[in-house]
Amino acid sequence: MRPLFPRIAASLLGSVLMLGSGAGWALEGQVVVMTSYPDELVQRYEQAFERANPGTDLQVVWKPSRDAAVELAKPDQGGVDVYWTPSLGSFPRLRDAGAFRPLTVDRAILPGVVDGQFVSDRQGFFEAFEVAGYGLIVNPAALARDRLPQPATWRDLAATRWNGRLALPIAGQVSFSGALYDILLQAEGWEAGWALLGEAAADATLVGSGGQVSESVVNGEADVAVTVDFFARSAIANGHPVVLVYPPRTAFLPAQVAIARAAPHPDAARAFVDFVLSAPGQALLFHPDIRRYPVRPDVYTQAPAGTVNPFQRIGAEAYAYDMEKGLNRHGLIAALFDSLIAERQDRLKTLWGAIHAAEAALAAQPTTKPDPERAALVSRARTLAGFVPVAGADADRLAPGFQDRRSNRNPEEQAAMRKDWSARIDAAQADALDLVRRALPTP
Amino acid sequence: MRRIVLLAAALLVAATPLRADEAVTVPVQGRDAFSRPLPALDPVHRAAFHAGRSLFQQVWTVGPSEVRPDLDGLGPLFNRQSCIACHAKNGRGEPPEGESDSMRSTLVRLSVPGGGAGDKAGGAPRPHPVYGDQFNPDGIPGVPGEGRATLVWSERIDRLADGTPVALRRPDLRLSTLGYGPLGPEVMTSVRMAPPIVGLGLLEAVPEADLLALADPDDRDGDGVRGRVNLVWDAARGAFSVGRFGLKANQPSLRQQNAGAFDGDLGLTSTLFAHHGCTAAQTACRAAAGEDTGRVEPELSDEQLDLVTLYTRALAVPARRNADDPLVRVGEGLFAAIGCAACHTPTLRTGPSPALPELAGRTIHPYTDLLLHDMGEGLADGRPDFQATGRQWRTPPLWGLGLTAVVTDHPTYLHDGRARTPLEAILWHGGEAEPAREAVRRMPSLNRKALLVFLDSL
Repeated sequence: MRPLFPRIAASLLGSVLMLGSGAGWALEGQVVVMTSYPDELVQRYEQAFERANPGTDLQVVWKPSRDAAVELAKPDQGGVDVYWTPSLGSFPRLRDAGAFRPLTVDRAILPGVVDGQFVSDRQGFFEAFEVAGYGLIVNPAALARDRLPQPATWRDLAATRWNGRLALPIAGQVSFSGALYDILLQAEGWEAGWALLGEAAADATLVGSGGQVSESVVNGEADVAVTVDFFARSAIANGHPVVLVYPPRTAFLPAQVAIARAAPHPDAARAFVDFVLSAPGQALLFHPDIRRYPVRPDVYTQAPAGTVNPFQRIGAEAYAYDMEKGLNRHGLIAALFDSLIAERQDRLKTLWGAIHAAEAALAAQPTTKPDPERAALVSRARTLAGFVPVAGADADRLAPGFQDRRSNRNPEEQAAMRKDWSARIDAAQADALDLVRRALPTP
Repeated sequence: MRRIVLLAAALLVAATPLRADEAVTVPVQGRDAFSRPLPALDPVHRAAFHAGRSLFQQVWTVGPSEVRPDLDGLGPLFNRQSCIACHAKNGRGEPPEGESDSMRSTLVRLSVPGGGAGDKAGGAPRPHPVYGDQFNPDGIPGVPGEGRATLVWSERIDRLADGTPVALRRPDLRLSTLGYGPLGPEVMTSVRMAPPIVGLGLLEAVPEADLLALADPDDRDGDGVRGRVNLVWDAARGAFSVGRFGLKANQPSLRQQNAGAFDGDLGLTSTLFAHHGCTAAQTACRAAAGEDTGRVEPELSDEQLDLVTLYTRALAVPARRNADDPLVRVGEGLFAAIGCAACHTPTLRTGPSPALPELAGRTIHPYTDLLLHDMGEGLADGRPDFQATGRQWRTPPLWGLGLTAVVTDHPTYLHDGRARTPLEAILWHGGEAEPAREAVRRMPSLNRKALLVFLDSL
């Protein structure tokens, strides 16, 4: 057995793991890393790690998180040494299943807290590697051309000025959208958030691919889109004239890294984890094609100009995003997005178009001639148009049945629930349309 | 003196700087310059372009995948796990730094004597009996990889006529930890670094007759340049066709080029290449591939192959920068005057393009004739490929050349990445290009600067 480095030695070597990295000893010739990161990120880490550790071959096993969980549940864990991936929900589940070895991290270097959020494992079995925030990608030239103000909050998206200019990811198809929409829903409130989304989506372009959301703004198909930030940051770093706006109430969520319990190459595994958490490893996150946020405050001195520092964010509101609550809800959000928005966008467009027309007509009336009756009808129509068939109070109870966006557990139960949702949504929207038509001035 | 040189060079100023059709070029100069779709793409093709890009960027996984069965099938033997692993940002790859580094966007083709020009199979390379036609360092679990490949560099100083030193490095291939025994003395190897992939659809749309018209295998015009077409096997047609893709023009179409790369680099079968390349000696590979148990479904569907092919077909070419700059125009004139343009043909015209009609009838400036040329012993790999001899390479397009250093973190040039600058690349030219190389060597420094500034404008 190789001696363990004491804390002081580890610090001297730049190691953030208290067990030491094996530095000074020959590592095994291989380390097997399982990930679902895109290759543009993986390649750069593979190259940098192998060049820093000649003789150790980094073998990448690419697996979506559910396939990865199957692999790590095998007795030999598929020969995997390290699990390194952006999959928030996977790490706690795998930890609870005993899939990981403990890590002891130097919290003086890696605080484990970003933007007020604990992003690593309190039990010490996995560690945050990077964080990504959620916000708006905007084409400022297009907005300036039409003299439109830049959107700054989630609430701004519901404004009619974005009709035909907004792109939204489809929650059931774009992996980051579960977290994105949950952040918005927690920030705005469940019912108000869904109403906002329905109104914003009525005349938006729905996009089924994560990268394509930002791309739609880059290539001029949309002027504004909601997105995880690294697509937008990378587009900016690659020379595209777009900007990223963080609403004051947003969150920065982590991707994490852990060493497998049965890691066949434990020293190389520690060396890899140490590398990705080291200053050079963290600084690689600033690369134009990666652009994720380091979890080490000390590397921000190397950040490119204009980089937001999530450890010292300016303009943020005190907003405690509940990450665990959100994790539980991603599947439910995807299902509700389908029922409320993706399957009913045409009807939403008609309905919200009528509401906006009625509101415009009311606003155009002389203030000396208020029409409280029509105003009440429009107000009731607006409330009904934003109807969501799952109350906020019930969301956490129902969420486990939907678990994650790709699983289809309890299909019959889910189908029955969706049928019920559809009927209630249709009824609410029909009532809303009826009310607003009554409220519209007769020609 | 400087004034005299400029006056002399000014006589060579190109009459009109060449600019490509705006429907097929993009005015993008950033790191994404090689990643934009043709402006002329219709909405349906644009959507397919984005879907193809997703597949091009996708990391393929070892099967079976419960979640994404459409993305499994990697291996049993492979080089890399995604297209962009080699074609990062659709630009050039990067060779290994040295012995302790690995090949990541470079590969090694293998063969043994028996193919080559005049062979009954049309000169198709004869695969190595144990390792096949490409060295695959990695295997899926349970399948040994074929070993480790890297390059060791040796450097020498070349001198221009005015005494300016230029360091030229030459790679020496090192294959080690061989998984299936020695390669034997007969093995022929060829190191290939991933080339940029912009504008390929336009090159595909250049009529075959135009390439045949450019060819001059017997040097009838007496200029010392003997371009010839490579005739290669077209698997879809079941016949020989003019090759135009690959560093030796050994692929006739983009679809076959892509299917070949999926097969050779990632180990993914398709309807064009239905069998894995496991040799008889690679028993674990054969077992993992199910090669001995009957017909295996293609791992890459026709729809996926078509989407990736459309993506590669529709990548736009970045527009030229500074084409009107006086020094650039002098360089453009010199490029033609010293004979570079004899192979790096500035202008071609596309013909009908049923696969992507937006490409049809365009005047393009790729700076290639897509023909094979003898490039001399210095660049020779000694490995024939259909009609291409061991000294011949296809003229690489030069469009986008000046943005290589923007798109790629560590730009290198030529088929194996030995050249670190365009000037080094020029100095490696030999064979039919030797007179042009010597003209560059003898040039006054200001003219050489103009030539390089012109290349940087492409």
